[in-house]
Amino acid sequence: MSRLASVLVPFALGTALAAQTTVFTGARILPGGAPPIADGVLVVTGGRIAAVGDAATPVPDGAAIVDCRGRTITPGLIDASFRGGAAAGDLNEQGDEVTPHLRALDSLDPDDPALARARAAGVTAVHLMPGTRNVIGGLGCVVKTAGTDPAAMLVKADVSLRIVMGSEPSAENRAIRGGRVDSIYYRRPTTRMGVVWETRRAFHEAKQALELSLGATPAPPDRGREVLQRVLRGDLTAYTTARSEQDIRTALRIAAEFGYRTVIDEAQDAWVVADELLAAQVTVLLGAPSAAQVQGSAGRDGADPRYATAKLLADRGIPFVITTGTNTAALELVREAMFAARNGVAPAQAIDAVTIAPARLLGIADRTGSLAAGKDADFVVWSHDPLDPAAVAESVHIDGKPVPASR
Amino acid sequence: MRRYLPLALAAAVSPFCARAAAQDVLLQARRIVVAPDAVLDDGRVLLRQGKVAYVGTEVPAEARARARRVDYGPAFVVPGFVLAQTTLGHDADLAERALPFTPDLRAAEAADPWQEDLLELPRHGVTALALAPASGNVAGGIAALVKSGRERAVVGDDLYLTLSLARNARQAERPPTSLMGAVDLLRSAFDGVRTGIGQGPDAAVLRQAMQGTRGVFVYADNFAELNAALDLGRDFGLRLVLVGAAHAEKVLPRLVQQQAAVVLGTLRPELRRAELELPARLAVAGVPFCFGGDPELLRQSAALAVQYGLDRRSALQALTRVPAALLDRDGTLGALRQGHAADFVVFTGDPLDLSSAHVATWVDGVLVAGSEPGAAPVAEPPAAAAGVR
Repeated sequence: MSRLASVLVPFALGTALAAQTTVFTGARILPGGAPPIADGVLVVTGGRIAAVGDAATPVPDGAAIVDCRGRTITPGLIDASFRGGAAAGDLNEQGDEVTPHLRALDSLDPDDPALARARAAGVTAVHLMPGTRNVIGGLGCVVKTAGTDPAAMLVKADVSLRIVMGSEPSAENRAIRGGRVDSIYYRRPTTRMGVVWETRRAFHEAKQALELSLGATPAPPDRGREVLQRVLRGDLTAYTTARSEQDIRTALRIAAEFGYRTVIDEAQDAWVVADELLAAQVTVLLGAPSAAQVQGSAGRDGADPRYATAKLLADRGIPFVITTGTNTAALELVREAMFAARNGVAPAQAIDAVTIAPARLLGIADRTGSLAAGKDADFVVWSHDPLDPAAVAESVHIDGKPVPASR
Repeated sequence: MRRYLPLALAAAVSPFCARAAAQDVLLQARRIVVAPDAVLDDGRVLLRQGKVAYVGTEVPAEARARARRVDYGPAFVVPGFVLAQTTLGHDADLAERALPFTPDLRAAEAADPWQEDLLELPRHGVTALALAPASGNVAGGIAALVKSGRERAVVGDDLYLTLSLARNARQAERPPTSLMGAVDLLRSAFDGVRTGIGQGPDAAVLRQAMQGTRGVFVYADNFAELNAALDLGRDFGLRLVLVGAAHAEKVLPRLVQQQAAVVLGTLRPELRRAELELPARLAVAGVPFCFGGDPELLRQSAALAVQYGLDRRSALQALTRVPAALLDRDGTLGALRQGHAADFVVFTGDPLDLSSAHVATWVDGVLVAGSEPGAAPVAEPPAAAAGVR
């Protein structure tokens, strides 16, 4: 009983505090997926958006008013492929190359400096995936960028299964060459062929088990296989990291072969394979469109990024989302959107590509990614238009609470 | 070498041991802390057969008359310190390197009753300790109760299960190499027990943990590790004690909500301020905690905690009653109440003042370090006598 009370009391206090209404007036509002509002009003109550509209929107009595004239308000940005959020090494389980059931959420460090940097730059939610060192790394999740308890930061668990093509999953593995034969790194894959083979074998076994289980006594549960079967049944989306032309083609081929839905993550060479991407009706995550080359452990993969890729995807009608991704040369997410706009993407689409588009892709658009009544009050007050190179996130709000400034 | 010295010591004290066992002892001192909330001034405690038989005015006149009188005069007597978790620096012998998951291994099998470190401990106030599997394994095994000080330490009951989410449980050369891998290993093992797939001696230990009949000590330091440990505790109903927990201030509300306890590491003056203030904050929040880490620096840790805001009563509890309770031994250890083991330490003053000197330590009613009033000190610990240190 006393334990129950101790849980309820802070909750009641929290509601009382959060029920306070704050109104942001005078700003230009880019609601995300809707036309801009020149002289907008944003009403926030209890951590949620109560109303968004033009200057005629009624302001509740007793509300605190924040004058935002000259500012621009956007939804909090969403980074659909985020590197960080955990201590080095904790997102790559090296014990096996196929670990579909491992959850990135279990390694989340709410104190990670990358999260602090992201939220200071206007990013209020990130898609956290296992690292790129495994062929099939595990389950991704979407978390808010501020908080202390992973369960409270979580927006959606198990949103993705990360698969990685290219050289990274084979990078540290090795043949004996005088090393220890009992090392866990003495194993396949050591080549691109091996990476594909491991992927195909994992899905083949999962599919076979699925077919055999029809009408038969169920096989003993294998949690990794169950995750792969969710992908095969269409209940879970694969996010295949593939940068170079050959890796993107391979990713599409395996997905088609097993009939699962995939998103192509990173996709630096998307400009080469636009026809195939269009035909396959996949969404592309374009990592760091500002970068002229891939830096980091995937640098040797041979991808050839071009500034014009984002515009090409837009013109061809290929759905895309802008991310920071794994490229260590990536800028802040808002600057990546700025680069896409500078290289020909319509400004509204550039903003959508870091707000409502990733929210829809990740299945969280009912809570965040746009400014509308009933959604989480995740938004950013920018000093200038966010696509202006001088734009700074003056204040960032998550669930209606301003996050501490780190600038 | 080490076999002979303790034998020589045993020969020197054994007649005394026999006498102590046979005859009651009436312990007297200016201040006797029976428990942190029960302090006797000019107090007396009657010891019989290694246990506390009577306290203060309850001592019958007839028993008082017959007992051998041990009067420490102006000194302070406090219950012996209980160390809720230690490896005594023998981590390599207490973690099975190649296998990350060994919940059914027993630290008792690795306990060497002749170990010299055990003879050193009474001089630092420690009279009972839990020898625990080290933090190198995700599931290390079962800790053992050890009473220190006499020529041959007494290795007692099996205690809690140790798990580890700390950095050194994730090694580069065997799985798991990542925190999510370590969490998954534990979650799947507990899930296996819950669904009945898990069988055998390791599953039996996990089942006891889930039923609450065996406590679970988890090595965890940073934010992510602490959250992961608390998640496991919540999902599987574990009686959770976090060991190390340097960043525990960040999960304070969860500690309160889940009624978890903390074994702190050694406090040192150069630590982050948040770490030095942690004991005081835990006390205010009502989270049970005890001092741990280096057994020689327990008093220093407690004194530093007091310097950073912890009240003295809580500090003394965190050396005695709380660790005894975390070992489920608060009925016999951590206090000088009737029926408790006659384990106590004598200082020239308040043990939380570092200027107070150690006078004597008794374990199970027997003097094991220091001296009786008006007598020559018992032999130096053999390691020191042999010039090892």
